[in-house]
Amino acid sequence: MHVHELNPKKTLWTLILFLLVIVVGFITMKRPLLNYEISLQQTTKILKDTSNNCFYPYQLADVLNHKNKNVVLIDLRNKYAYGLGHIPGAKSIPAFDLTHKENVDLLKGYKKNGVSVVLYADNQLAADGAWLFFRQVGFCNVRFLLGGYNYYKAHKDNLEQTKSDDSYLKGIARFDYARMASSKAVTSASQKQKKPVVFHRRKKVAVAAGGC
Amino acid sequence: MNRNYYFLTAIMFVLALGTLFIHERVVSPQISPSELLWDVLQPTRFVTTDQVAKRLIEKDPSLLLIDVRPAAEYDKYSLPNAVNVPIDSLITPAGQEYFGNPGTKVVLFSNDAILANQAWVLLRRMAFKNDYVMKGGINGWMETIIQPKEPAETAPESAFERYEFRKAACQYFTGANVANTGKSSSKVKVVFKRRKKTAVAAGGC
Amino acid sequence: MGPIAINGLISANLNLVIAVFLGMGFGFVLEASGFSSARNIAGTFYGYNFVVVRVFFTAVIVTMVGLLYLSYFGWLNLSQIFILPTYLPSMITGSIIMGVGMIIGGFCPGTSFAAVAIGKIDALFFAIGLFIGIFLFAEVYPLIEKFYLSGYLGHVTLTDLTGIKPGWWAFGFTVIALIAFWVTASIEKKVRKKIKEYKF
Repeated sequence: MHVHELNPKKTLWTLILFLLVIVVGFITMKRPLLNYEISLQQTTKILKDTSNNCFYPYQLADVLNHKNKNVVLIDLRNKYAYGLGHIPGAKSIPAFDLTHKENVDLLKGYKKNGVSVVLYADNQLAADGAWLFFRQVGFCNVRFLLGGYNYYKAHKDNLEQTKSDDSYLKGIARFDYARMASSKAVTSASQKQKKPVVFHRRKKVAVAAGGC
Repeated sequence: MNRNYYFLTAIMFVLALGTLFIHERVVSPQISPSELLWDVLQPTRFVTTDQVAKRLIEKDPSLLLIDVRPAAEYDKYSLPNAVNVPIDSLITPAGQEYFGNPGTKVVLFSNDAILANQAWVLLRRMAFKNDYVMKGGINGWMETIIQPKEPAETAPESAFERYEFRKAACQYFTGANVANTGKSSSKVKVVFKRRKKTAVAAGGC
Repeated sequence: MGPIAINGLISANLNLVIAVFLGMGFGFVLEASGFSSARNIAGTFYGYNFVVVRVFFTAVIVTMVGLLYLSYFGWLNLSQIFILPTYLPSMITGSIIMGVGMIIGGFCPGTSFAAVAIGKIDALFFAIGLFIGIFLFAEVYPLIEKFYLSGYLGHVTLTDLTGIKPGWWAFGFTVIALIAFWVTASIEKKVRKKIKEYKF
């Protein structure tokens, strides 16, 4: 009786070829210096937990008179701005050099030793992106300086007293928007009504159909 | 039974065992961390309140304003025609429908640029393009558009032009005249005439 | 060519050309592994020939494991791969009909065409029946539409449904397949001893 059989030798060769492809894949795979350590969901949680994220200007005082040795300041501005003036003791790592291996290793070392890293730039916004980036790749010891260098420069001599100041805080409404936007308005009710917002929803990504 | 079958079984078993240990790629496409950092450091995502105001006045259909503040704050006040997508819902499919539409420029804003900027970083990580952050946020909007400050006498011509634009924009957005603060140095007094409402007899077919 | 076509690397027309070559390759493999013989296919159900099971299982586990690796290397975006939408009741019914058809006819739709290509008359009639079946289905579709579209689960994967990592599914399925290879081989041996007297 003839029964069609597979040729085991050929099958083995094919499988070895398959194995080779996987080996090549492992060899050519790009191993990025940094990987996302936390998911997007966790990131949104971190954004809410402000106390762990920010570093207040009055906390700088302890760092500057060496009471708090567990904090490293990193200046993200370019070398020129750093040269013109910086917070004493701050390390200069221009933002674009952050991806260099030695700088990443440096940050990893700080993380290992439990040292807090405070990033600052001219203002909070300029350091915000880099800070959020480092939190997402797993540096939970990274914070940003509220107010940034500009605020520090203006209050260099009375850092302790800035406790009561809140002008450097971000994210709070400085005005009563609704009143402000309409106080001068003698608008009729019809104008106040919100117009229906027209927008386009993105279409679902089409996937190629197929099947056997 | 052929000896090769033993090899086959062994190799396949090892390969399958390996799949348990390989990192699972996240289902939604994300850009690599180094790419994200590079993009984060570019200042090109920031737009000014003037640019937003101009596009709003021109009724640019490609502009979509997204308010990333919590819904409670959005209900109190928001920019005209803005859609509320709180930062939590950015990562849900419903929230993401607003982003990544071809031909649409999404401008994110919050009370100031910080929260919007953070939302931008999240969106960029999720590989969305054509998103912008309004510098200054609503605080900046109030300071520049709703209550524009008159430039000093020595200010360059462009500052005065900008001031003129902002005054006009303020009229557009609030429907009122800009209060002339300080010295009465404004050359032309803009008188905003409001058409009187004429009482119309109700009715009609 | 799902992921490549979507990203605009190949045009729709080229896609069609590639489909022709893929079809040729598929047919060649079907024929080369003996799927064009009704005896091989029906043999699975009578227990004297499990080559079909082995080939299909091999294809499944190699693809499954391979895709996971390719996705790990970043060569392939798994989220852009087509997933057949799941309609539970109609799929179960359909697979029963197909199974019965395979025992009776000795072909599955794809293999019947491979067999027609090498000139098998039984396959020709099977293929004709296939078209009649398609025609009948289209005619009665309005009557069974409700059932046909019932139990829609969407483009779901086992991972979506259970939350278990795809690696575990791949591993579990591979182990089952590998065990099946050896079990079927021993069944084959026993059954063939018994049916020595029958001549095919």
